[in-house]
Amino acid sequence: MSGQTRQQRKSERQLSGTPIAWRWAAQVGANLVLAFLVLPILAVIPTSFNQASFISLPPTSWSLRWYGNFFADPEWRSSLWVSLQVAVMATAAALALGLPAALGLQRAGALLRPILTGLFLAPMIVPVIISAVAIYRTALDVGLNGTRIGMALSHAALALPFVVINIGVSLRHVDRRWQQAAAGLGAGSWTVFRSITLPNIIPGLVGGGVFAFITSFDEVVVAVFMAGYGAKTLPVKIWESIRLEFTPVVAVAASFMILLAALLFALARLIDARRRQVAGKAAASITTETITDQGVPA
Amino acid sequence: MTGNGLPLRFRGATKHYGTQIALHPIDLDVEAGEFLTLLGPSGSGKTTLLNLIAGYLAPSAGQLFIGDREVTNLPARQRNIGMVFQNYALFPHMTVAENVGYGLAVRRRPKEEIKRRVDAALAMVELAGYGDRAIQQLSGGQQQRVALARALVIEPDVLLMDEPLGALDRQLRRNVQLELRRRHEERRRTTLYVTHDQEEALILSDRVAVMRAGRIEQIGPVTELYRNPVNSFVASFIGESNLLPARLIAQDGIQMRIEVAALRHTLTLPVTAAPMKMGLADMPLQLLLRPEHLVLDDAGPLAARVEEAVYLGELTALRLRLESGADLWLRRLTDRPITRGMELRVNWQPEHVRLVPQS
Repeated sequence: MSGQTRQQRKSERQLSGTPIAWRWAAQVGANLVLAFLVLPILAVIPTSFNQASFISLPPTSWSLRWYGNFFADPEWRSSLWVSLQVAVMATAAALALGLPAALGLQRAGALLRPILTGLFLAPMIVPVIISAVAIYRTALDVGLNGTRIGMALSHAALALPFVVINIGVSLRHVDRRWQQAAAGLGAGSWTVFRSITLPNIIPGLVGGGVFAFITSFDEVVVAVFMAGYGAKTLPVKIWESIRLEFTPVVAVAASFMILLAALLFALARLIDARRRQVAGKAAASITTETITDQGVPA
Repeated sequence: MTGNGLPLRFRGATKHYGTQIALHPIDLDVEAGEFLTLLGPSGSGKTTLLNLIAGYLAPSAGQLFIGDREVTNLPARQRNIGMVFQNYALFPHMTVAENVGYGLAVRRRPKEEIKRRVDAALAMVELAGYGDRAIQQLSGGQQQRVALARALVIEPDVLLMDEPLGALDRQLRRNVQLELRRRHEERRRTTLYVTHDQEEALILSDRVAVMRAGRIEQIGPVTELYRNPVNSFVASFIGESNLLPARLIAQDGIQMRIEVAALRHTLTLPVTAAPMKMGLADMPLQLLLRPEHLVLDDAGPLAARVEEAVYLGELTALRLRLESGADLWLRRLTDRPITRGMELRVNWQPEHVRLVPQS
């Protein structure tokens, strides 16, 4: 039986017309690119466990010393806390603005839609430093500099495109006739939205939310402008530390950021997988799809 | 005819998009309990008509009544109409029972009542015990029946079906057609059914409306459309047909004389062979000879050679080449073997011949 399968596989390979050597080369090449992308990031993690008071790879001897230092220092602790608060607020704001925006874009006319889409995606296209200066200058007028709210709102603006894109892709999988059928069965427009549209765009909401959170959590340019004393986020603190004293505490902070990002994406995948298990194939795997569509946020 | 559901009346209802006319003004009465099929090619306006009734489209002008109530500008959710969509439009994130019970749930019926009525509806479509299944676990035919149960459970005043069998394979389609007819005969409920499959229309309907380019070309019982089509379009859409260009030579109150080049004959027909008595002289005409009305007869007036013989089981279809070079299809019970190249003579009963305007 297994021999037969192998035979089949072999004949399929021959049918596809690509020599096996080429397939090997492609695979090796892909793995090299992957290593190029991921290894420098992962290299931070072992350095955070270093005993020595300088960053080196591989660590000379292992220790949790710098983790202790991280939590002993109120500034590091508070910057992590500020980052989490800001990211949660930014995510909430981006979702609250992005959902109606995506719904509106879907209904916009063929003439208006590309223009509006361009405007909504602008924060992704305009260089961050320009956004940062603009946001900084505007925030001065309304006294939001150095506040967490101000930081969260600026991050929400940067994160909005990812939310609009993710929800927009989800909405394209919602059949208009589901909504028509629900209306025909007596449902008002709010009921249609709550019971038909919303459950079918959860993957987009989760995906957009994760992107918004990460966008805010690792954002440094706008944060440097907006931080002041009241809203120093983790990336800002890392930035300052690197310039003053380059100790493995920075690596600890970086490891936390990597861990959180990984956890969030894992969570998004898990939610998606559960949904698919429950609802079968039709609820398409939108989270992963949008990630590959849009790349990882810069 | 006493039936469930309400009558339906169109008064000059029309739909256009800018200068594009999707539906010319239509006056149409559908009786309570009637099964009316809208038959036509795609783009003929039949789905537009259905969407006007459902309330998914608003007419550009004219009025629409369900029972005594004018619904012209009433939103879909206030119309109490059951609709079965082409690809069913079942809610993918809900179970079978949640789908069927949706219309009752949004009407805020008590839980026990919803469960009882959903169970009854599922039993009616022979899906008892399938309530907890996911939609994706069902076959196409089962999904079709869930869609039907979902539309019927709200006891709609009118049932609309938009090519509901298009996604099913042929054998299953035939079974479901018979099932739909049985169900309609049991509980007559006003039904409008859209299809482009004439066989389906024949099996199901009390009346058929043949549509083209946003107009109803002809409406009536299937037998009427078959026997007395108003033009060559209807003739070719209902049943099989041979249509031969014809010319009116003379006409009095009783008879008309026509010349048919393909037959190399002039024929004398009663004026009742044409759908209207007036104005025939001015328009291009066609002679309609149904393949099943042509017979092989050694004394027949027409000589022909067999070009093609298609064996269809109990029937054989023959493509005959006439001396004029025109082709005629003939259908007959398969008795003796007929092969390509045989020389035959063809005859027909005068009362089976129809003269229709070409359109």
